[in-house]
Amino acid sequence: MAARFSAALQLTELDDFIAPAQECIKPVKVQKNPTKAAARIRIEADGSYFQVNQDGEAEKLEKAKITLNDCLACSGCITSAETVLVRQQSHEELCKVLALNKAAAAHEQKLVVVSVSPQSRASLAARCKLGLLETAQKLTTFLKGLGVHHVFDTTFSRNFSLLESQQEFVRRFHKQAEDKKALPMLASACPGWICYAEKTHGSFIIPHISTTKSPQQVMGSLVKGYFAEQQHLPPDRIYHVTVMPCYDKKLEASRPDFFSQEYQTRDVDCVITTGEVLKLLEQEGVSLSDLDPAPLDTMLGRAAEELSSHRGGGSGGYLEHIFRHAARELFGVHVASIHYKPLRNKDFQEVTLERDGEVLLQFALAYGFRNIQNLVQKLKRGKCPYHYVEVMACPSGCLNGGGQIKLEGESSKEELQQVERLYESLRAEIPEENQAVRELYEHWLGGWGSDRALQVLHTQYHAVERASSALSIKW
Amino acid sequence: MPEALSLLCRISAHPESRCWALAWSPSGALLASCGGDRTVRVWGREGSGWACRAVLADGHQRTVRRVAWSPCGHFLASASFDGTTCVWRRHEHGFEVVASLEGHENEVKSVAWAPSGALLATCSRDKSVWVWEVDEEEQEFECVSVLSAHSQDVKHVVWHPSQELLASASYDDTVRLYREDEDDWVCCATLEGHTSTVWAVAWERSGQRLVSCSDDRTLRVWQRAQGHGSEHSWQCVCTLSGYHGRSIYDVAWCHLTGAVATACGDDAVRVFEEVAPASPGSPVTFCLAAQVPRAHAQDANGVAWHPREPGLLASCGDDGTVAFWRYQRPDGL
Repeated sequence: MAARFSAALQLTELDDFIAPAQECIKPVKVQKNPTKAAARIRIEADGSYFQVNQDGEAEKLEKAKITLNDCLACSGCITSAETVLVRQQSHEELCKVLALNKAAAAHEQKLVVVSVSPQSRASLAARCKLGLLETAQKLTTFLKGLGVHHVFDTTFSRNFSLLESQQEFVRRFHKQAEDKKALPMLASACPGWICYAEKTHGSFIIPHISTTKSPQQVMGSLVKGYFAEQQHLPPDRIYHVTVMPCYDKKLEASRPDFFSQEYQTRDVDCVITTGEVLKLLEQEGVSLSDLDPAPLDTMLGRAAEELSSHRGGGSGGYLEHIFRHAARELFGVHVASIHYKPLRNKDFQEVTLERDGEVLLQFALAYGFRNIQNLVQKLKRGKCPYHYVEVMACPSGCLNGGGQIKLEGESSKEELQQVERLYESLRAEIPEENQAVRELYEHWLGGWGSDRALQVLHTQYHAVERASSALSIKW
Repeated sequence: MPEALSLLCRISAHPESRCWALAWSPSGALLASCGGDRTVRVWGREGSGWACRAVLADGHQRTVRRVAWSPCGHFLASASFDGTTCVWRRHEHGFEVVASLEGHENEVKSVAWAPSGALLATCSRDKSVWVWEVDEEEQEFECVSVLSAHSQDVKHVVWHPSQELLASASYDDTVRLYREDEDDWVCCATLEGHTSTVWAVAWERSGQRLVSCSDDRTLRVWQRAQGHGSEHSWQCVCTLSGYHGRSIYDVAWCHLTGAVATACGDDAVRVFEEVAPASPGSPVTFCLAAQVPRAHAQDANGVAWHPREPGLLASCGDDGTVAFWRYQRPDGL
């Protein structure tokens, strides 16, 4: 109880605090007509706001909205999309679009395409207690019943991501003498990791991140590019939805890099999580197991014979594919099985290729924030021994994404194991051997390694500058 | 009553600034203080007074909020509003930075070493508590866990005296406990009861009880209930209210005598003693044994009992001074 003000109020110390990071700097423009009188605001029972002028006329006021695009531009917020009002990306929005589509005239109707990720499929299968093929077939029936025209599997586009990543790694490996930032190469499929890297470590880490697009975005390019052409439609007449195991994929789809200026359309229009698909089912009062199976669609028109997957775990298998390819291409070594050495915890594991006691390749898996922290700190100190790291934001990888379905009555560890078992039960295919993939490279991408392939299948990253706010002014 | 707590000496530890926290080295030979002037200062006895043995400047860009000695006494950690935690190694001619722990998004409020010396904990306004593993050879620190159990700014972290059990205090009015579970750390208990920010926590020597101090002007003593295995169940067994005029910023539980000292926003330093129970099973009570109403010219921020010398207490405050007190348990208590 000092006679003068407490130290906290002394101006000299206002500099001492770092500007709060959790502050949205996005100015929201509100249309206002300048009037002499002060505005009177009336709040309705439903929570909407009306501005009442002198004559008693009421004008409904627009609710301040933040779109995902705004959020990505700002360093003030958070990367996880759960806490952001996602107006344009929810199952409700999908329902709206489907309803509009039903009522629209034929020449205005959109072709609705849904691409389902294998992780979401496995989660749904576990929840509905069905096999994977059944789940895929019945989900196709369900979605088509709502008005969706085609249902694809992002395992197909993942082939491209894997092939491009393999190739990119070998390129970087050859360049490492001249380019200090070529290695380690860090995985690019996880948007949670990308947003964190761009915001927190910016230009230091960006050169290390693989430029290969994620399976979601490759699918976006294929659907709005190749498939649109096949259907003789401009890209903006296709509404492309993806079903993903996490919310961060919604942020990825909203990136300006994945927006076509020419056609004013996004490669992926809407991302819904596995949990939101369940909500849709509940909304429609449908139980997936009660539906009849429908044949599966493929982008190249032929019917899919069976489902397939890729080796290397539930997050895409990047480490394994790149490792095998690099071992073969760079050292002529054929790798039969890959041995993981767990390090500090189960989300941080190492894989090494040795010959005659010499370490040829050293790769790692780093899942979860704590391991990402350690990896980045090691990199900053120049002490990272790895050539490649498969970085994922979620502990245990994509099968444990924030948008997956929580099962009831079991421990979360058992749930996850069930989903993993289902996911791994499929035959693993080798990307190089996929006929349809080869055809697309040949006939649509201008050939393997062409400029067009590079342009369509790769992307870039942008360091986010810390926004200055009132609190960062020097007093 | 005032004679029970008498001033031995006062030093202008952080002139023109405020002194935020204190830490005695494990042997008690040195006292580290830190403050708004961005420095850590290390003090040693000189005659009947205290002299500055080292000034650790250039470690931080902003206020240093807390300091902590490693159990071996060779390292000193400092937590700063600049978002980093520095680890200093002590050698003959002074201290040098051996590591700077980054990762928190904003101000780091507290740092603490586990009794084994193998782990370090930090907490921040970013609502998270981080556990770090110490690699003494490499002098490297790796993040072992990021715990986001609190919903607000975390003010203080402190380890159990003998186990790898961590306590944290927060602006969300709770105290939380954490332990290792397989290969990660989990929040194993939440202590609710305070009605405002919990500023600090202190463990009793036995580790069976802890005391928390709050902006709600109360001290709460929590006891571990008889549970099975690794389950934690904690109950508030005593609430001390009506003694403090303002927010209580720090609390220290003497491991030699069991006395509890507090630093308060009303500028006072107080000492409480547990009253022997009349019969087994009677409620836990503490009484006010001593107080100095104007221990500092402004808010008192920190208190620390000497680890070896019973009754020797140090306090620090917004007036930038560190005061040394002799506490003598009053007769007839």
